Amino acid sequence: MSVEPFNRLVKLAARAFYDDITTKGDNQPKNGRSDNRGIAVVVLDALTRRQWVREEDLAKDLKLHSKQLRRTLRFFEEEKLVTRDHRRETAKGAKIFSAAVAATVDGHTKEGDEKIKMHTHSYCCLDYAQIYDVVRYRLHRMKKKLKDELEDKNTVQEYICPSPTCNRRYTALDALRLYSMVDEYFHCEMCNTELVADSDKFVAQEGGDGDDNARRRRREKIKDMLQKMEVQLKPLMDQLARVKDLAVPEFGTLLAWELRASAAARAANGDANGNDPSKSSQNGYGGPPMPFFGETKVEVAFSGTEGQEDKKSEVDHTSLKVLPPWMIKQGMNLTKEQRGGEVKQEAKMDGGVSTTETSEDKKSITENDDKKNLQDEYVKAYYAALLEKQKELEAATKQEELSNAQMLDGEASTSSSRQVGMKSKRVEDEGEEDVEWEEAAPVAAGNANEPYKVDLNVEADATADNEEDDDDDVDWEEG
Amino acid sequence: MFFHIVLERNIQLHPRHFGRSLRDNIVSKLMKDVEGTCSGRHGFVVAITGIEEIGKGLIRDGTGFVTFPVKYQCVVFRPFKGEILEAVVSMVNKMGFFAEAGPVQIFVSNHLIPDDMEFQSGDMPNYTTSDGSVKIQKDSEVRLKIIGTRVDATEIFCIGTIKDDFLGVINDPSAT
Ligand SMILES: [Zn+2]
Repeated sequence: MSVEPFNRLVKLAARAFYDDITTKGDNQPKNGRSDNRGIAVVVLDALTRRQWVREEDLAKDLKLHSKQLRRTLRFFEEEKLVTRDHRRETAKGAKIFSAAVAATVDGHTKEGDEKIKMHTHSYCCLDYAQIYDVVRYRLHRMKKKLKDELEDKNTVQEYICPSPTCNRRYTALDALRLYSMVDEYFHCEMCNTELVADSDKFVAQEGGDGDDNARRRRREKIKDMLQKMEVQLKPLMDQLARVKDLAVPEFGTLLAWELRASAAARAANGDANGNDPSKSSQNGYGGPPMPFFGETKVEVAFSGTEGQEDKKSEVDHTSLKVLPPWMIKQGMNLTKEQRGGEVKQEAKMDGGVSTTETSEDKKSITENDDKKNLQDEYVKAYYAALLEKQKELEAATKQEELSNAQMLDGEASTSSSRQVGMKSKRVEDEGEEDVEWEEAAPVAAGNANEPYKVDLNVEADATADNEEDDDDDVDWEEG
Repeated sequence: MFFHIVLERNIQLHPRHFGRSLRDNIVSKLMKDVEGTCSGRHGFVVAITGIEEIGKGLIRDGTGFVTFPVKYQCVVFRPFKGEILEAVVSMVNKMGFFAEAGPVQIFVSNHLIPDDMEFQSGDMPNYTTSDGSVKIQKDSEVRLKIIGTRVDATEIFCIGTIKDDFLGVINDPSAT
């Protein structure tokens, strides 16, 4: 990412729009001395060579009075070209910034550091993303304004009473009142003469009227302006087009930028050298004083593209897509690759699976996939767990049916209870993932009834009975 | 543009409306009084959506009428300059055409109709392009941009243009 095209954009925009901006109030005499036109361009240019900068430092660098600079910057803030930040800070806070700035610009902002005590400091920085939009919007508005005027767009039609004794004027906003039901035209409110559209009048008297000449001259002027604009602003528009698809340099807020800059400085120079002006001043004035552009890199990673090794490793096995285990159903005709290589389907096919088997499988997966990264493993494990859960749910329903059947028999309750016991143990092994199953177990047990003691229904009945008894007692006492 | 806002109004009620259904009577009187009206400040009141608060009634000297201050939520429609609206043409003449967007009347003067559309008089006056492909007549639906509003205390009138990108006829009744 380069800031250079954007800086060029800023410089072009500065010269195009802010060349003759003066920040002096209108009441002040504009003699040669106080005329500060061109300051705006100088300040913007200076900002293109910096990132976040303390405004006092900038004033010092530009040999400007800080008040004058502040006025200019406030103007640019309103123009949305510059972001500013103000904060009260101690000498220490200022030092942090100085450390950051020392690494980006050059060391000479250091002097006078120690004297600073809890002052409000202002910082400023170009907002490139916004500048891009602001310049485009400005161009659009300029063109639109001229074009609209040229095409008479957005102008309110005026109507005039042709009667020489009346000559009243109306606008289209009066249309509702002027409209006459008799002939569907507009009529003068005073003399009821049919009104004439003002521009019609001009057309009718073409050549003679002075007003008409003025109007025509105005149109010529607008046309001329439009043409000049196209020519003179061409470099700016070209630069906008060039910048269009580039990543916009982004410095973030002052705080974020400081942290990043000082961290980078420390990384580059070693901790002690981070504050050393002599080191960083090696950059000199000529070199690009922004060594931290690497830090602001914005990476947009699209999944599935190259470099996404975790995804790729799976896909690389084969051109065939690996089906996730939860998509694989019994009876599907799949290649080994489609099953994702080592994801064991046999277990699934069996239907009646034991937990030990699957946990072993899980282990084998992790062993096989050792070289793949953690995320991959996690995904696999998750699918395996899902698969297991699916199977267990199946098993659960099967066993429920089974126990129901046994309950009908009425005899085999002991065997069913043992089954239930086994199941619940397994549930404990599985942990939280099988909550649903766990809930299902007691229900099944409840259906199986006799031997399983955690039977809510039975207990509920019992308490209900007790309550009835109590009620009886009360009745009896009262009686 | 539509807004959902809270407005206040004093409702005067005859004593015969008092009783158990007092509140209902106040609300229905409010709806009758307010819905469909236009104030220059807030625009057209489209519908009352809820009652925030009904204050204590105040008996008017001599009449027996009682005034209740009512705070109510309502949807209002207020046209703005620069707003794009879709409207139905209500009348066409050589000066331009009138259109209605709900309660708002909009006038589009002929110089704000694209230059390639010519006025055709007759019993169905219309503006038509030279190839006849686009026609604006009564009941046509047009998309227009408001370029001016006249806001009186009780009335809002707009003038619009269809001389811009994406404006103009959006549904021609004669074509179907
Ligand atoms: Zn007149």
